[in-house]
Amino acid sequence: MSKYFANIYDTVNTLWTGMRITWRHMMNIKRDNVTLQYPEERWPRPERNIGFEHEDYNVIRSRLHVDIDDCIGCLKCERACPVDCIKIDTIKAPTRGEDIPDVKHTGETSNGTKKAMVVSRFTIDMSECCYCNLCTYPCPEECIFMVGGPNSSKHPIDYEFSEFDRTDLIYQFAKKLSPEQKDGLQNPKPEAEA
Amino acid sequence: MTVDMLMDWFATIGDFPILSFLLAVVISGVPLFLVMALNAMVAVYVERKVSAFMMDRIGPMGQGPGLHAGKWGLLQTAADAVKLLVKEDTIPETSDKLLFKMAPFIIFIGAFLGLAAVPFSSVLQVADFNVGVFYIIAVGSIGVIGIVMAGWASNNKWSLYGAMRSAAQIISYEIPAGLSIIIPIMMAGTMNLQEMIHFQEGNVWGILPNWIIFNNPFTFIAFFIFFISAVAETNRTPFDIPEAESELVAGWMTEYSGFRWAVFFLSEYANMLVVSGLAVAGFLGGWQSPIPGMFDTGAWGLFWFMSKLIFLIFVMMWFRWTFPRLRVDQLMHVCWKVFIPIAMFNIFGVGIWKLIFG
Repeated sequence: MSKYFANIYDTVNTLWTGMRITWRHMMNIKRDNVTLQYPEERWPRPERNIGFEHEDYNVIRSRLHVDIDDCIGCLKCERACPVDCIKIDTIKAPTRGEDIPDVKHTGETSNGTKKAMVVSRFTIDMSECCYCNLCTYPCPEECIFMVGGPNSSKHPIDYEFSEFDRTDLIYQFAKKLSPEQKDGLQNPKPEAEA
Repeated sequence: MTVDMLMDWFATIGDFPILSFLLAVVISGVPLFLVMALNAMVAVYVERKVSAFMMDRIGPMGQGPGLHAGKWGLLQTAADAVKLLVKEDTIPETSDKLLFKMAPFIIFIGAFLGLAAVPFSSVLQVADFNVGVFYIIAVGSIGVIGIVMAGWASNNKWSLYGAMRSAAQIISYEIPAGLSIIIPIMMAGTMNLQEMIHFQEGNVWGILPNWIIFNNPFTFIAFFIFFISAVAETNRTPFDIPEAESELVAGWMTEYSGFRWAVFFLSEYANMLVVSGLAVAGFLGGWQSPIPGMFDTGAWGLFWFMSKLIFLIFVMMWFRWTFPRLRVDQLMHVCWKVFIPIAMFNIFGVGIWKLIFG
């Protein structure tokens, strides 16, 4: 009989303890809240970089970016890509190392290399990209790189690039050329040659 | 009460007994339905927030333009309601279609009828029965028919399990609830809810308001037994074994979707309102002010009643987000071996108390 009442006392006691705990959490929600309102609030980004050395080789491999003005159209990154997500089309420039203002083509890269090719298409399908970073090593002009980390000065980090449509993940880096402009580059007029 | 007043008023205009009765019922029934709908909307929002805060989350939020749920997620329940209403209303191929379609409305009728006798203030009460307490207990039992119907008609083993559990649970817990609500009836000597509330005027023990819960130790215990049994009767956690998401998917509502499911939801929250209303009227002084003689005129009655009601509903939510679900055997143990003996002892104790002090 006393066990019966002891049980009841125990039940009431433990239930009250549990209710006190939830009450305390409810009252201290301002302090204890763990939810971040994502687009407005964000977790701090990890500080570590993409690098070759062991200590800075971890990684936010966030997104590929191409400085198209530096690209010489050598196709080395396209060949290096294990999943073939980089597609490059080039057209031979009429004169090596000369600006073509008509298609906003610059003749020289920032390293001073004279460009022989006009890049008419440079697309990276980021939905296929496996973030292996293999395309960045062969690039002779260091114009394709992962954003952020050591490249923060060239392009700020960006790892939030979700889209509503998959085709929006195909990034176009080359300047838009109209069919007439392409035609003009491929079949230069006789006066230009002369 | 509203119905009677409206009918008296219609009688002064002309002699159309049936028409005036129908009009009076519609005029007092529509606001009652609105109260139910509003209660469900607000209670769902509050429940989301309370549960979130107790779990250190912040619940539905939204700020700024676009598909956000309004400031602090205030539009969340509106969005939920729209979603439920435009959802496809599926009926299983092998179900008993007639019973399947009827069940939600039977449950709804039980909750709606119960709400008709809840005394929101000294005048705001749809029907002032002289057997109010008995009436609420009686129509409260209609719901279980709907639940068993829904479970059986779904032709689904989870639903049937849920329905059987629900029947066992509700029928069991009506006994301690009934035995406990007898105590206010014994104290006040009436089943009329208004007279019962009028009985609770004034002071007791010098400072406390003369609510039945404070009258003597037996009524104090009886309130808790009644309230916990009421939580069990509304099938809420920790007594939600008929729904038991982790075991039975959603119990007897597994096969329901869209509007029919929304009706279940509405009825669940309306049931909370009804049982809390009965607990407030029977034990917590109804629309009486907690400070006797102050703030007890006019609209204050409605204010005090709603405050007590909201507090009890909050406590139900507090229970829900604190306690884990009981097993079936534990549920039956609590009911038959703990609540019923204590409730009977309470009746005995109150009888002796009334003989000595009353």
